[in-house]
Amino acid sequence: MRYFVILLLLFCAPAYGFGLDLRQLVRGVEDQYMGASSTARMTMRVSTVHWQRSTEMDAWSLGRNHFLVRIREPARERGVATLKVGREVWNYLPKVDRTIKIPPSMMGGAWMGSHITNNDLVKAAHVDEDYDFTLLSEDEISWTVEGTPKPDAAVIWGKIIYHIEKQRRVPQQISYFDEDMIEVRRISFDRVKKIDGRFIPLRMSVHPLEKPGEKTILEYRELDFNMDLTPAFFSLRNLKRH
Amino acid sequence: MLIAIAYRNLWRNRRRTLLTLSAMVVSSSLLILALGVFSGMLEDMLASATEQYHGHLVVSKSGYQDNHDLYATIRDEKLPVMLENRPEVVAASPRLRAYGLLSGRDISRPAELLGIDPEREEKVTTLMAHLVAGRPLPSAAGNGALIGSGLARRLGVGPGDQLVFVTGAADGSIGNDLLRVTGIFSTGDSGHDNGLVLVGLPWLQQLLVLPGQVHEIAMRVNDPMAAAGIADRLAAELPPGLDVFDWGDLLPEMREAVASFDVSRMIVVLILYAATGLGILNTFFMAVMERTREFGILMAIGMRPRTVRAMVLLETLQLGLLALLLGGAIGLLMTWLMQRFGIDLSGQITPVTYAGGTILPRLHAAFDPVNVWMPCGLLLVVCMVAGYLPARRAAKLQPVAAIREE
Repeated sequence: MRYFVILLLLFCAPAYGFGLDLRQLVRGVEDQYMGASSTARMTMRVSTVHWQRSTEMDAWSLGRNHFLVRIREPARERGVATLKVGREVWNYLPKVDRTIKIPPSMMGGAWMGSHITNNDLVKAAHVDEDYDFTLLSEDEISWTVEGTPKPDAAVIWGKIIYHIEKQRRVPQQISYFDEDMIEVRRISFDRVKKIDGRFIPLRMSVHPLEKPGEKTILEYRELDFNMDLTPAFFSLRNLKRH
Repeated sequence: MLIAIAYRNLWRNRRRTLLTLSAMVVSSSLLILALGVFSGMLEDMLASATEQYHGHLVVSKSGYQDNHDLYATIRDEKLPVMLENRPEVVAASPRLRAYGLLSGRDISRPAELLGIDPEREEKVTTLMAHLVAGRPLPSAAGNGALIGSGLARRLGVGPGDQLVFVTGAADGSIGNDLLRVTGIFSTGDSGHDNGLVLVGLPWLQQLLVLPGQVHEIAMRVNDPMAAAGIADRLAAELPPGLDVFDWGDLLPEMREAVASFDVSRMIVVLILYAATGLGILNTFFMAVMERTREFGILMAIGMRPRTVRAMVLLETLQLGLLALLLGGAIGLLMTWLMQRFGIDLSGQITPVTYAGGTILPRLHAAFDPVNVWMPCGLLLVVCMVAGYLPARRAAKLQPVAAIREE
């Protein structure tokens, strides 16, 4: 009898997701820029009501837990770097030659003056673990997947809605809702390119909806996967090297 | 004539009148003293709340006080001088504010940095006077910083140690620079002790890339209680786009505390006077009952009931006025003594922070006219109400029955 129940569960489990593993799908979207490991050169353009600026950066990643990014341009900020290991984030400031660990209370703060927060660096890697997913709708081109937080998960968003293109399995748009289920941020993706056998949208635009007219555009200019990187590369010592 | 009769009646039973009078004098004078001490506490609290950080009046861009928007700056460098030249303004201090991450050796905390001109800030707030270690900011502050005691403890820093501050500058760059702790302050207000850092205005202007700009101008005025009125007059003269706030706008909880003080003052007065009123009522009822025969005779020889009532009411009025004069005088004298000398309780109790203000461990009175005229006025009202019932009874007596009564 017991075996029968287990067998039944085994047979039913795949059917649960309409033959589509939503969690795996979202995981693929959240990890799209990482792969097993990656190096990238990117341009971040931030526009606010008061200023606009463009930053050139180099980035390295290993799995979903190791991430290092360093500013190349403008010259004034060259060497400013961010290291993420697991759920912790450090910033390195060459002007004062100091490494600063971001305290939990500042994780919601802007990352390098953009509309991306420190939390985005940390928590995006755990979205597929912290949320449950349901398929909201489906048409010929795309899936619409809704992520709602698991009851005991410490999350930032009340709801996340993914629009994912079916054929190439790339995100078109992701909408983030706060606890009151008001959409507060929208990220759209375009310039899809095939790299290393995978389709990757090379441009990502972050729109904070409570600040109309402001946006952060992150554009990958070079992106290579499966580089020879080890966890030792993502060290505080390496964070300072510039 | 009636007044003279009433006055004489009052002193026919000297002991009873004196007892009632003393009850009234003691209750009103003690009440005046108690309210004075209450006002003194409130004054201490208000002073600590406003003079510790905010100032009595603050001029800033409209809306700045709601969201502390980095870009809502005042560029007019002559404005502080213009404000200082007004007779009711004692001093004005321009300030620039930034929120960001402050790091000691290993630990980082969010902090509020207030860029100030030490010499001017000193004349407006008492922040610099609460040093527990190190020295105050020199007038050319450089990269010196005064840091709250709680924040210093959490970051593990003391005078002479280095700090790093990181924040988003106004041009979008990552503003970061070194500070050196010159001193540590402790105000008793945990919000400031755990999160506030005072730095030199030029240093912060450079870090934020806001040259020559400030967020607010804090002022000290000669009469804090008149701040709202001064704010109204100032508002009319300020350039457009600037607003002026008094401490009541900045510290609504303090305004609540003042309002709740007014209510509790009224309640204390009412309770005390309900008791005093019963005493007076008792005295006069006894006096009227005892004199039933006398009233009967007065009416029999032609005094009208209305006049009898007026006579009894005049007696209470005279007693009330006498009590008011004596009680007011003694109460004022005691208030003055308490204001002049006060009682230090710092050996017994520690300061208490309430509604953003700190109540100092001392008994000290402050003079507020309302603390005198309200108890005195109410005393008279209570007196007349307590006198009315016996007076009505006297007026209703039937002359024949009253004379027969013994």
